[in-house]
Amino acid sequence: MSGTDSGGDADAGSDTGAAVDTDAAEAGNTGGSEFASGGGFGRDRPPREDGRLDSERRQGTPYTESQVIMPTVKIVAPFAFTYGLFVTFHGAGSPGGGFQGGAIVAAVVFMIAFAFGIEATRQWLANTVVVALAVGGALVFAGIGLVPVALGGAFLQYELLPIPDPVKYGMEGVEILGIGTIVAGVLIGLFLVLAKGFSDAGGFADADAFDDEVGEGPEAGDGDESSGEDGPADSIDDGEPDPGAPGPAATDGGER
Amino acid sequence: MTGALASAGPLGAPVVAQVTAIEASLFAFVVLTALFTALARDVLAAVIIFGAYSLGMAALYTFYRAPDVAMTEAAISAGVTTVLLLLTLAKTTRLDHEAAFESVNLPAAGAAGLLFAGLMLTMGDIPAVGSEDAPIWSNPDVTQWYIAETYAETGVENTVMAVLAAFRGFDTFGEAVVVFAAGIAALIVLHREVFA
Repeated sequence: MSGTDSGGDADAGSDTGAAVDTDAAEAGNTGGSEFASGGGFGRDRPPREDGRLDSERRQGTPYTESQVIMPTVKIVAPFAFTYGLFVTFHGAGSPGGGFQGGAIVAAVVFMIAFAFGIEATRQWLANTVVVALAVGGALVFAGIGLVPVALGGAFLQYELLPIPDPVKYGMEGVEILGIGTIVAGVLIGLFLVLAKGFSDAGGFADADAFDDEVGEGPEAGDGDESSGEDGPADSIDDGEPDPGAPGPAATDGGER
Repeated sequence: MTGALASAGPLGAPVVAQVTAIEASLFAFVVLTALFTALARDVLAAVIIFGAYSLGMAALYTFYRAPDVAMTEAAISAGVTTVLLLLTLAKTTRLDHEAAFESVNLPAAGAAGLLFAGLMLTMGDIPAVGSEDAPIWSNPDVTQWYIAETYAETGVENTVMAVLAAFRGFDTFGEAVVVFAAGIAALIVLHREVFA
């Protein structure tokens, strides 16, 4: 996690901090501003005197274009990715398998994200891909397990699968298309969703959601911010069912 | 881990001689990194040292011929967990500390030491690593059966994978679903509807 700020607006929000609460609120769709108005959690501390960057002052995903990291990752990534696939596909004959291979494949995506920026990776790797990996893996595993049941056997009774060499290819299917894809998809998803995290969402979105549920009107500042955030929320989350809802939608709008 | 501690313990000198230099240095490395992880006052330092600890454990697993476990430890613990912890640190406030190490709570350390000493007393009954008398190895109904029958039953050379995907496939299905559920839970906790 290298030092310089390039996290953009979220940084600006938390830098000015709660001390200039109103300014931050006027900044509209910055993520950090909501945190400032939310107050607390130590983020209203003054900047450190020694001038060192504290993590509280780089709330957006910190990213530095490094001339060392980028070429290194460019060289290493194809090999690491191939190794991940090898570990997954060759799990029957050598150490490894779906769990390990899926984790290595996910780690390749982490590497790329650290070298070229998490946001760039997020856009390159559409949500569809991540969800398809995780959900597809679960469905394939369940399917391979349930087909023998439908044919009158037991769960995962590979002999009954209607394919040539069913035991071998059934197990390979479970390892590669089932476990490997689930692990890779979920780990990549965890990484991306943690990188977005709470902070750019403007603190604990529960506060907004709670207000909505209880029926109290949101505070004036919150109202401004959530209306300001609807735009980015729409543009980021294509296909989201209800981006207009003030509470949860606001969580998606922050970091751009 | 247990085996070498046992061999260094009440079993006496002949067994201690089996502990190679690589093994001993790996042990020292793992124990030291574990201690520094617990004692480091700076969270970032603790996370990085914890990654080193996981790497040491992975090497140790490899040394004890458990490459599947070693791979998982290296990929998940040293790699993915460290990255996720670092990511979380970048999102949270990191206090700056004057002291490099936590102050040790002496009563707690004493209690932990007593527990450790008590556990060490049982080490004499644990068979040495690789001993053919170890129940986990000599058991004809479980370990030896799997080693003998796995290829005939499943056509898979890696027994670990055969156990995971065939013999205990239903368990593995549960584990995979747990991983899947962890992803969903992260979305729910963070109030998001999409991963990317």
